[in-house]
Amino acid sequence: MSGFVVQCARKQSLREGAPFRCNKLPDGTPWTQFYRLDGAYLLRFPGIADFEVSADGCSVVGIPIAGTSTDMLEHLYLNQVLPLCASKQGKLVYHASAVEVAGCAVAFVAESGRGKSTLAANLAVSGYCLLTDDGLVLEPDATGHRVIPSHPSIRLWQDSQDYLLPPDVKAAAPLHFTAKGRFLAGDGLGFCHEPRPLRCVYFLGDGSAQDIAVSRATAAETLLQLLRHSFLLDIEDKALIAGHFERTATLANTLPCFHLDYPRRYDDLGRLLKMIVTHASSEGGPA
Amino acid sequence: MKLSNKLTPSSQVIARDVGQEIVLLDLASGTYFGLDPVGARIWQLMRSGKTLDEVCDAMMEEYEVPRETLEQDVQALARQLIEKQLAAAA
Repeated sequence: MSGFVVQCARKQSLREGAPFRCNKLPDGTPWTQFYRLDGAYLLRFPGIADFEVSADGCSVVGIPIAGTSTDMLEHLYLNQVLPLCASKQGKLVYHASAVEVAGCAVAFVAESGRGKSTLAANLAVSGYCLLTDDGLVLEPDATGHRVIPSHPSIRLWQDSQDYLLPPDVKAAAPLHFTAKGRFLAGDGLGFCHEPRPLRCVYFLGDGSAQDIAVSRATAAETLLQLLRHSFLLDIEDKALIAGHFERTATLANTLPCFHLDYPRRYDDLGRLLKMIVTHASSEGGPA
Repeated sequence: MKLSNKLTPSSQVIARDVGQEIVLLDLASGTYFGLDPVGARIWQLMRSGKTLDEVCDAMMEEYEVPRETLEQDVQALARQLIEKQLAAAA
């Protein structure tokens, strides 16, 4: 998808002017700063690494600072930079996890902290293979859209790790910027390495539901939700935004999507899993 | 907002039918605006060059609603579209 070259570690140079966009952590700390670079882009993770992205999003140069591990650089590239590059190439990329159910993909769209990784892990340790933990990449095909598998790993908070993961799941090297643990797919955590047709999408609620509640989302609700949870490298590129809007609207008009909310109780996860598998198999599919 | 006014969509706005609704994208601000089925119908009639009064005439044939209520709703939507710079009065 994108060529990736790593240069030797060096200090992050001072930039003239403010970034045209800045993603911040919940405490307000800058996480990703977006600069223009003679037609290309510089994605800066302050104190960690820079990534120079070509104008077409097809090639990336990673430049770590001293002390940034190869694991960290690779993680940032795969989970943060690559989805943004894919968006620049005209692909549809959303903040969503996805698993394989009965030969198709089922995706969970939500902002950070709403449980999309926990839900995907719950399914993945129960025989429904993981397709992505975040950065859901879609490609149109003859019958709709298919999900492209991403990096075979998943990030979970400690309580989800303790409850869900069998002891044989292999942990990856920890990342200093997050308390989440990172786990590699393998025997205990199945991964699907081949693209799968997207059957349906669930938009996760805030957990205020007293019991499992699922309802069909209208096409307009689907479009607005997907737009809100999109990866987009250049939010000032009108042609890119217009193309993304058109392609997402096409998706929203054809894909069955649902609102899903449930109490965030680990004891309910088994019941939730059965409901999702049954619902996705019966209600999902072309509208 | 007068009923004799026409509304012209901004050249920066892209409208897309989704189901029975319409979602507007304002390229100038990068923001989105959803119109429910009734709002979508009003938008379609406005785009065809009708005055707000003519929009109400057409809507009266399609919906069972008091004329006064309809005029208020059409004017309210028109004001919203202008405030959000999605359309301009002509």
